Amino acid sequence: MIKNLMKKTIIAAGIANCLMMTSTAFGANWLMLQGTEPDDAAPRAKLWGFIQTQYQKDNSDPNGAGEYIAPKLINANLTAQEQFNVNRARIGVRGTGFPLDGKVNYFFLAEFGSNAITLANGGNPRITDASITLNQIPGARIRTGLFKTPGPEEGLQAIHVFDYINFTTVANQLMLERFPNTQYTGNNANPTLPIETPINGFNKPVGAFRDVGIQVFDTFRKGPWEHSYAVMLGNGNGLNFGDNDGNKDLYLYWASEKVYGGKKGRRQGTKLFVWSQTGKRLLDQTNDGTFNPEEFDRKRMGFGFKHLKKPYRVSFEYMSGEGMIFVGPNRPTFVINPTNAATTNAGNGANGKADGWYLDGGWYIPGSKWEIDARYDVYNRLTDATPFPGGPNAGRTFEMQFKTTTLGAQYHINKKTRINMEVSKRDFSAPDFPTGAGPNANLDGVDTRYAVQLTHIF
Amino acid sequence: MIKRFMLPLLAVFLLGTSVSHASKESKPFAEERIVLQISDPNPFKQTLVLNVASNLLKHYGQDKVDIEIVAFGPGLRLLFKDNSNKTRISKLSGAGVQFAACKNTIRNMGKKLGHPPELNAAATPVSAGVVRIIDLMNQGYKLVKP
Repeated sequence: MIKNLMKKTIIAAGIANCLMMTSTAFGANWLMLQGTEPDDAAPRAKLWGFIQTQYQKDNSDPNGAGEYIAPKLINANLTAQEQFNVNRARIGVRGTGFPLDGKVNYFFLAEFGSNAITLANGGNPRITDASITLNQIPGARIRTGLFKTPGPEEGLQAIHVFDYINFTTVANQLMLERFPNTQYTGNNANPTLPIETPINGFNKPVGAFRDVGIQVFDTFRKGPWEHSYAVMLGNGNGLNFGDNDGNKDLYLYWASEKVYGGKKGRRQGTKLFVWSQTGKRLLDQTNDGTFNPEEFDRKRMGFGFKHLKKPYRVSFEYMSGEGMIFVGPNRPTFVINPTNAATTNAGNGANGKADGWYLDGGWYIPGSKWEIDARYDVYNRLTDATPFPGGPNAGRTFEMQFKTTTLGAQYHINKKTRINMEVSKRDFSAPDFPTGAGPNANLDGVDTRYAVQLTHIF
Repeated sequence: MIKRFMLPLLAVFLLGTSVSHASKESKPFAEERIVLQISDPNPFKQTLVLNVASNLLKHYGQDKVDIEIVAFGPGLRLLFKDNSNKTRISKLSGAGVQFAACKNTIRNMGKKLGHPPELNAAATPVSAGVVRIIDLMNQGYKLVKP
């Protein structure tokens, strides 16, 4: 594993060095923006952060028994269909501790808001980033600690400049990792309102697109093009410090971007990117009172592009995954129905496959502070699910399709403050089942969601 | 009588030669002479001092203004070899802006670093940044501290 990684790192660094033409100091991409500081122009400690307050309302209907599933409830506590929330409140500090040596920098950030990072931690604040970057080796910067992993654009980008309020379903379910509980934990039933017992059965924070590990990366400029690479080895345990299974995750990333102008997170360009993540997870799927977890592969890959040249933005990304497919926050077994799984393996996400994509467009209304956004995303979950061998559902699988159309608008009050508004029309279904039957008894009622969010960066 | 006129004339001549000695080398037709001080650790000040120099060039014209940026103390980081503003420094230097680096600061930073900091090729070491500013002011330069 390590040998393979070293080989890949050397190859990547070699390619990178071949591409190194002029300066390596350009910082306008996510790898560089989050992992480095401007050479000899960084403060000892820059205090920064952002707050996001929001209101969301879900118009979905319950199933025939008056029960709700997670997509019909508002994240992250999943206890209501309408609520105000302080979903992110992050404060951090970054810079270079010894300013005379600009070759070393750090990044620290903690989450105080109410979301899937903090709720699983009893609502307590949680460190989301704590990293040190060494920039001494040309073409091979080294970042260690807890930070965002090379991966999909939605995860890697800075969340406070994200053009929407809610993630695409594919990013949320396939990439925003939920980690198995240490021991077998049974599924929670779909609740009725008001909810007495939290629907979420996972007891660890979501991965937040982050891991603890070491990353070799850099960016090289050739004319208007900027090429970036990253190779990372991590614990594969998200925000949970420490390695719980002795396996390491390997993250690979490449991006080439034609730069048009602009700065930092709002830089304009056309970026092509590809990435992969491979690792293993321990999951105890047997309800026998014994800690006897099995090892499952977790593989993810994706590619896409993002074009931003004001007043237009277009982006697309395809993602696919194999193993450890999340099938709902109330299902820490990773199985939709453990009874079925035991006999037929139907609806078991631990070995399942999934894929999805999104197409996004934006228009910055010239001469105004408004942006208009539109996004269509598709997520196909358990595409290879084993069909029921017999009975009334014979030949049917638990494959589910999640299609969402989101229309949004952003109003920039100033450079650091903006309001997001969005409406998401959702069409969720299990194509193997007729309307009202099987999973569709719950999915049929999924309807429009409205969200408004105010972001202020300081 | 002659003495009474000659002494002030001599003084004016000497002062004039010292000013013209500095300016003739770089900007003989300059109508304004500005020395910009950068001694602050805040990196924003690095950008600001370069912006001020650019704006002065734009306003007066390249040949009509003589600008020298004197860096000392924590502000010397602006003139480090790999500073992220090096492209701007190079452009300004090409437009005739001069950059002075304080030797006292270089020596003190060298003690902390274990070696002298590598400086931008556009930087000219001067014995002391503050003395350089006083010298330039005595030659008629106006001091601006952005």
